[in-house]
Amino acid sequence: MPREPRPGRSPGGKAPLVTAAARLDSITRRFGAVTALDAVDFELVPGEIHGLLGENGAGKTTLANILGGLLVADAGVIEIGGRSVELRSARDARALGVAMVHQHFSLVPRFTGFENVALFNGEAWARRGVIAPGYRRQVEVRARELKLDVELDAPVAALGVGERQRIEILKALMSDTRVLLLDEPTAVLAPQEVEGLFAVLREVAGAGTAIVLVAHKLDEVLAVADRVTVLRRGRRVLTEEATKLSARELAEAMVGRALAAEQPAEGEGGRTGQPKPDFAPVAFLEDVTVGTGDAPSLRDVCLTVHRGEVLGIAGVDGNGQRMLAAVLAGVVAPERGRARLPDEVGWIPQDRGEEGLVRDFTIAENVALALHGKRAYRRGPWLDWPRIGETSATLVNELNVLVGSPEASADTLSGGNQQKVVTGREFLRAGQLLVAESPTRGLDVRATRAVRDRIVRLARAASRPPGVVLISADLDEVLELADRIAVMVRGRLIPVGPKDQNAAAIGALMLSAGSSTP
Amino acid sequence: MTDLAALSSFLVAAVGLAVPLALAALGETVSERSGVINIGLEGSVIWGALGGALGALAMGPYAGLAAGAVAGGLAALAFAAFAVRLGTDQIITGTAVTIGSLGFTGAVFQSRFGATGLALELQTVPAWEVPLLSRIPVLGPAFFEQAVTAYLAYAMVPLLGWFLFRTRWGLALRAAGESPEAAHAAGVPVVGTRMLAAVLGGAMAGLAGAHLSLVHTGTFAENMSAGKGFIAIAVVVLGRWRPWGVFAAALFFGGAEALQFTLQALDADLPYPLFLALPYVLSLAALAGWFGRSRAPEGLALPWPR
Repeated sequence: MPREPRPGRSPGGKAPLVTAAARLDSITRRFGAVTALDAVDFELVPGEIHGLLGENGAGKTTLANILGGLLVADAGVIEIGGRSVELRSARDARALGVAMVHQHFSLVPRFTGFENVALFNGEAWARRGVIAPGYRRQVEVRARELKLDVELDAPVAALGVGERQRIEILKALMSDTRVLLLDEPTAVLAPQEVEGLFAVLREVAGAGTAIVLVAHKLDEVLAVADRVTVLRRGRRVLTEEATKLSARELAEAMVGRALAAEQPAEGEGGRTGQPKPDFAPVAFLEDVTVGTGDAPSLRDVCLTVHRGEVLGIAGVDGNGQRMLAAVLAGVVAPERGRARLPDEVGWIPQDRGEEGLVRDFTIAENVALALHGKRAYRRGPWLDWPRIGETSATLVNELNVLVGSPEASADTLSGGNQQKVVTGREFLRAGQLLVAESPTRGLDVRATRAVRDRIVRLARAASRPPGVVLISADLDEVLELADRIAVMVRGRLIPVGPKDQNAAAIGALMLSAGSSTP
Repeated sequence: MTDLAALSSFLVAAVGLAVPLALAALGETVSERSGVINIGLEGSVIWGALGGALGALAMGPYAGLAAGAVAGGLAALAFAAFAVRLGTDQIITGTAVTIGSLGFTGAVFQSRFGATGLALELQTVPAWEVPLLSRIPVLGPAFFEQAVTAYLAYAMVPLLGWFLFRTRWGLALRAAGESPEAAHAAGVPVVGTRMLAAVLGGAMAGLAGAHLSLVHTGTFAENMSAGKGFIAIAVVVLGRWRPWGVFAAALFFGGAEALQFTLQALDADLPYPLFLALPYVLSLAALAGWFGRSRAPEGLALPWPR
């Protein structure tokens, strides 16, 4: 692909700038036989917010990691501040003013916010190795400059996701930063917090830092980005100013073909569609309380799930959702209260890599793990491997898992693909109840669509459909799919009245006594 | 014998027995804070005892102490080369180092001094009386009429506290133990940090071993470490990974051991081994969180890179 010299533009459409903050020239990176990036050009102008979009495996994170120094390109040139550079480590990148905020925050959970900032910026405050008393002030001043509302004295484990993210950003921006890379920063935030994050990003960009925003949600990218680049299967397919683009154009660029007009609008297909048959309850919790100390706990949670319904549970991450899921899945027993749960429960855990899959097992073995109890997958005392293999293959095809065969080890899959495997498998297992924790987080547009459709189809099945509990920090998802909605705030489950089932009312509820301040 | 004199002699014994535990446990604290649980500590102690004995024969008792520290550090280096650098299982590697060390030191000793283990007489490290402080009734003689190793142990307590919680290297070291991923992302060389911490811990355990041969007994015997390295690991738990707590816990363990001897001497009608068991019961209770939350570093014993 010939390099296309793109005149840098500052966001306001001012005069073209001479020096790019960073420029990637014809970058190629392979992982084994897979070409993750194929001669990709990418340029960042000082002070711009640059949205980086693409489906799972399109190469967005790889690109960000190369610029962040975490991966080394196989071919191509990296320029930062007009000089050709070699980035061999995150340290190299940081020395050149490139900072990265990861999807999974790289904070030490038991350190305070201040300690985390200090750890990351060791050189800055080294006065004979001892924490200089003035550094604390510097951190506070910087936080104020950036309009970042941060809690510096509590262990970050005790903070909400939004607060942790702000510490992560502050930590990255303590030293001069030319380029700030953010990998999926909005995936975990409540709507109000997304607004707050964007305000901070605009502030940071206004000071001349170029920001790369890796994201899935098209609307959000269009709302905040000055320019957008779309990757598809390792190639750059589009770079354009955001004002000239629509969400639809972006989606089509990502998928690589015109989308049929059936992308259901918000609210369709789920809540307002079919009349809800009033089936028998399959699971119920009564005054369930779990957890003491600093673990996110459940307090007096009452809940009934009926067959054939999708119960949506919204809330900012870290308010007890994971514990609720664990109780519903039967892996944690309530300390107080009663739980009556069915036998055939499917569980899509939040951390699929750890809780959902045995990473050294093949895909087929991982599928077998979940299905070995079912008569259909056994022949006498033995497992029916051909049958399991078939099921695995179907699953792999249906959800478009990018993998050679079901015999591949689960470890070789990307995060998004691991998730597809777990999700598909648990659908098969959920005879009576499906507990889905953020089932589409980290999935691309197409897979998200597929998963959501399957949830609806599962709950709408004609004969004996299971009940579905959908736990998601993505409020749009909850609104789209759920028949009933409840919000988790600090371990309490608050039902949402029919009139309040809109983003503004629920968002306010999510933050009402939430663990994070907006 | 008056009660006060009995108490005083009990305290002298308690502190004397606590010093090697404190040294080894403070070293292990540094190691565990960096994420390395060195079950091979016992190996460092026995190498320290032998190194101390050989060093003292060659160059006098103080050189012997230094040689003991070096020997203990080398044993920990062997452990860390596998468990940290190569990422082998820390528990299994540490156990291997301990068992191997007990065997090797015995072999070296026998090849040098004969299989019958001719009673070796070493010049011991003399006790120093600290002026004024040693005059404090009861406590003075216990704490301030000790050999230099005791004063080293005392000094290490505030020094390590300052190092771990006030310096950037301490911050980096604790980060490596809490979350190696985050430490790595922050530019901390996790492997190097852990190697250094383990070697430092081993050196202090070696010093503890040299204390056994050069202060406590004035001789070397096979297996003379007698589980001190393992006890030190329990001391770290009871001390909740904090230097002051670890020091207090070491005194407690030392006291329990001394009490046992005292009771034996007094011919008391009590099953004295019970007092030896007490500290372990308390350590288990500490691990179970009966004394409030005190958790091991989250990255403890986890290999890096994963």
